[in-house]
Amino acid sequence: MRTRTLRKNKNFKYLIAMLLFFIILGIPSYIWTRKNVTTLAGRYNSPMTPIIMIPGSSASANRFDDLVKTVNNKYGEHHSLLKLTVHTDDSITYSGKIRANDTQPFFVVGFQNNEDGYSNIKKQARWFNIAFNAIKKRYRFNSFNALGHSNGGLIWTMFLENDFNDSNLSINQLLTVGTPYNFEEKNTSNHTQMLNDLIKKRDNIPHNMTYYSIAGTQLYSDDGIVPLGSVDAGKYIYEGQAKHYTLITLTGNKAQHSDMIASNQFITIFHQYIIGNGVNNPNSPDSKQSAIASQ
Amino acid sequence: MRYTFPDIYNESMQVFFMKIQFNNKLEKQLILGTLKLQKFFIYRVIQRTLLLIFPFALFGSFVKIIQTVVIGKEGFLTDVFPDLSNDFIYRQIDNIATGLYNLSLGWISVIAIFGAAKYTAKHFNRDDQLAGITVVSALLIIDYTYSKVQTFSFHPQILGMRGLLLAIILGISIGWIFKKTSRPVPDYVKLGGAPSVIERSFISAKPIIVSLLIAMLFSTLINVTYYAEAPGNYINTLASEYTSKSPLGQLLKTFIFSIYTLIMSFFGWSGTYSSAGTEKMDTLSTVNLNYALNKHTAWNAPNPFTSSALYHAFATFGGTGAVLGLIIAILIVAKDEDFQTVARWAIIPSLFNISSGLMTGIPILFNIIFLIPFILAPIANMTMAALAIQLHLMPPSVYPVPIGTPGPLIAFIGTNGSWQALIFSILAIIISVYIYIPFVKMAIKVKDLDNLSLEEGAN
Repeated sequence: MRTRTLRKNKNFKYLIAMLLFFIILGIPSYIWTRKNVTTLAGRYNSPMTPIIMIPGSSASANRFDDLVKTVNNKYGEHHSLLKLTVHTDDSITYSGKIRANDTQPFFVVGFQNNEDGYSNIKKQARWFNIAFNAIKKRYRFNSFNALGHSNGGLIWTMFLENDFNDSNLSINQLLTVGTPYNFEEKNTSNHTQMLNDLIKKRDNIPHNMTYYSIAGTQLYSDDGIVPLGSVDAGKYIYEGQAKHYTLITLTGNKAQHSDMIASNQFITIFHQYIIGNGVNNPNSPDSKQSAIASQ
Repeated sequence: MRYTFPDIYNESMQVFFMKIQFNNKLEKQLILGTLKLQKFFIYRVIQRTLLLIFPFALFGSFVKIIQTVVIGKEGFLTDVFPDLSNDFIYRQIDNIATGLYNLSLGWISVIAIFGAAKYTAKHFNRDDQLAGITVVSALLIIDYTYSKVQTFSFHPQILGMRGLLLAIILGISIGWIFKKTSRPVPDYVKLGGAPSVIERSFISAKPIIVSLLIAMLFSTLINVTYYAEAPGNYINTLASEYTSKSPLGQLLKTFIFSIYTLIMSFFGWSGTYSSAGTEKMDTLSTVNLNYALNKHTAWNAPNPFTSSALYHAFATFGGTGAVLGLIIAILIVAKDEDFQTVARWAIIPSLFNISSGLMTGIPILFNIIFLIPFILAPIANMTMAALAIQLHLMPPSVYPVPIGTPGPLIAFIGTNGSWQALIFSILAIIISVYIYIPFVKMAIKVKDLDNLSLEEGAN
């Protein structure tokens, strides 16, 4: 019995040390959590950086299925895909699933009314905002990347100018493909009503976003549908507003407006700028992939 | 400390039986059952293997503290003390820590599989060295990534703690293949001659080839299923996507997935809930967080029984299985030197919920005596928390908690500093200590009767 009490005394100091440890860490934790909750508003601490994509007119939310499949196969990645379709009555239907622990899932937002035309695009931008808020509510992330194909890029621009105003959320990269900022107008000095409207609100474009615009050309002038000048008109909106604005011209095989997102060139650019982001290179300082994956 | 020799084994056991007094029927049955189980060579191989990996697991758990808690971007100390971070030095330490971690705890299964095959082959009197080496190759073949991007790489999940079950099963199986397809190694010492390496190799040639071919087959299978979304993913998706509107449904869901996680962790596999913090993107928790941010309070959050409110906040003190309770229990009641040493070493990692040292050192993994408290203690804590939340004695944890936050502080931080939550956390520690105490006593009795770590341990 005497040895028992002796041992107990010996371990007593460990128990006291443990208690002290909790008290010592507890006080700064208390201060930190108070501060964190008020300033960071809680969107902090999410490893998820989703890629949100909007297809062009007359395409559905299934437009990027092949793209996702190709990227997953080609790069040996496992991005999951959730497709949202916003109906004309503002309701949303979902298909697909986000895998838990997927740090870079894809969201595709399509519209029941996917007609072309300025008035329709304005409506679609409003519907996109509904879908975006739904995503924001369900999934916790503090930054995202974006892709817009054709008019999808117009919807992104309108969304960023009118609705996207969230200090807790940032858009890192935006990539658009064949986005007609000036509709079918070849001459950049003739501004359509839409372009004028977009230029007017250009101050709202997030200043820390990097923007890549891809224009396809066949025979120097257009991608078969959208004139090079119309894509190029995006500079009047983004130059000087976004952190960087890059215009890329894509020519050759599959440079046609609708084919572009299947071309190898596009997929490489897409992967490099939109998915890349440190994940590709596990040694990059902003990638914690290797550490997290091995738990 | 008494050393029991195998030959006088039964005799000494009789002597011990006289001395041991059982407090109740359950204890008697559990102890006798464990002793019976310990007679099986598979059980002995597993326990021996765990002791083999213990030093690496302990070392790795210390590195992991540095890696996730101190340096990690969302780590506890970097968040709470942001001024500490200095980019350049941090990155260097981070690189070193990552390397050390990946080659200690990060490939613990490779060490385990070596032990499992070696001890099995030795048990059957086959070439244990070659069996161990063969099985390491086999595991690495199985784990090899068929990737076009990285030419020489492995799936990290299988090499770490999560692959332990696979490693042990595979190691024993290949040890058994050695028994089936090769003849015993001649005892060169007895024969008086030096062993011929060529002869040795040819004795084991057949099992080596068979093992590697089987590994090839598994490798193909794993790579195919990995790309087609492994079944584990479905369970994970179910856990994070399936949402029940009724609180009872939520409660049930959280409990079911917690028990699943606990049982899986007990067998060295991985469950749905990670012990490294609430990093899962759980839909219900996100809804809770949004509510709390709007209303500026965690009280009356719409989903009170999420995994972050119950499991992560109350069931992971010291790591999966609320093993902080076990450590304290050992420090209070255990008279056994080994237990005490392991517990003392495990204190620091366990404060940050990293329990791999304790899991392999005691060992808790596969140790039938600890199965009950390993599940019971977390469940009891969760039940207490659920009751407290239901009776409005405490708000649910809804705010984000940094990775590696000391267990008893998770609920405190997750509720934005609610004192009630802190009091219930302390209560939870006390409950888990009380649950673990009788089982620690039983484990010591079993150890006195049949100490697995002593005999044949030198090999």
